[in-house]
Amino acid sequence: MLHTFAISASGMTAERLRMDTIANNLANANTTRAADGGPYRRQVPVFAARETRVPGRPGRFTGAGVRVVGIHHDSSPPRLVYDPHHPDADADGYVAMPNVDVVREMVDLITASRAYEANVTAFNTAKNMAMRALDIGRA
Amino acid sequence: MRGFAQLDEVLRLALNAVALRQQVTAHNIANVNTPRFRRQAVRFEEQLQRARRRAAVSGATTHPRHLPVGTQSIVAPRVVRETSTVMRNDGNNVDIEREMAVLAAAETQYAALAQVVAARYRMLRSAISQGGR
Repeated sequence: MLHTFAISASGMTAERLRMDTIANNLANANTTRAADGGPYRRQVPVFAARETRVPGRPGRFTGAGVRVVGIHHDSSPPRLVYDPHHPDADADGYVAMPNVDVVREMVDLITASRAYEANVTAFNTAKNMAMRALDIGRA
Repeated sequence: MRGFAQLDEVLRLALNAVALRQQVTAHNIANVNTPRFRRQAVRFEEQLQRARRRAAVSGATTHPRHLPVGTQSIVAPRVVRETSTVMRNDGNNVDIEREMAVLAAAETQYAALAQVVAARYRMLRSAISQGGR
């Protein structure tokens, strides 16, 4: 039973990290000088299903939630904006802006938020069931 | 008293199966955004039905060397992976509405089973306490 709480918690942690990443992408939507020099590049968290180490027989449950494999950079090219007076403009007057699409980030934000809520619901269900099990002892 | 213990065993199995179903569903929900993840489901009721059908004809074991006939079939929940219902580009087939429905059903079922178990213990206690009168 307690294992279930860990599963739902891993889901909440992963979705929270996705929200953090989105917030960072939005905050840097206009950053032209990232740590590595060029314009900021959109960050994407990569998720993978987590399984318990014990090799399960067929029909046995080995799931243990979700884990974040890493945060990767979106490799799509930067957005070019014509702004000759910008200090980072090239010889032709174009500025390389981050490859962050604000609308897309907002969509991802809603997805992450809803997924987080779904994990909370699963968590609460497990809690209610555990309370029911405790009620048996009180009968 | 034999029937009493047997029903308790079925209730225990059912409680554990429903708890496992909740756990598997939580795992599905945690992986709603994991590419290529396939949802898992718990098969239990079909097995119970099959065991019940087999138990309709059962041999009594009155001697330790008798072979069990009927009843003794092993009922254990099985976790299966569903691979046929993919409808998203990332190969993930978790449908959040469906998972929520399974979750709600599991919660209700668990509450009902727990209530039955509690009622049976109350019955047992009243039988014990009223016996001396």
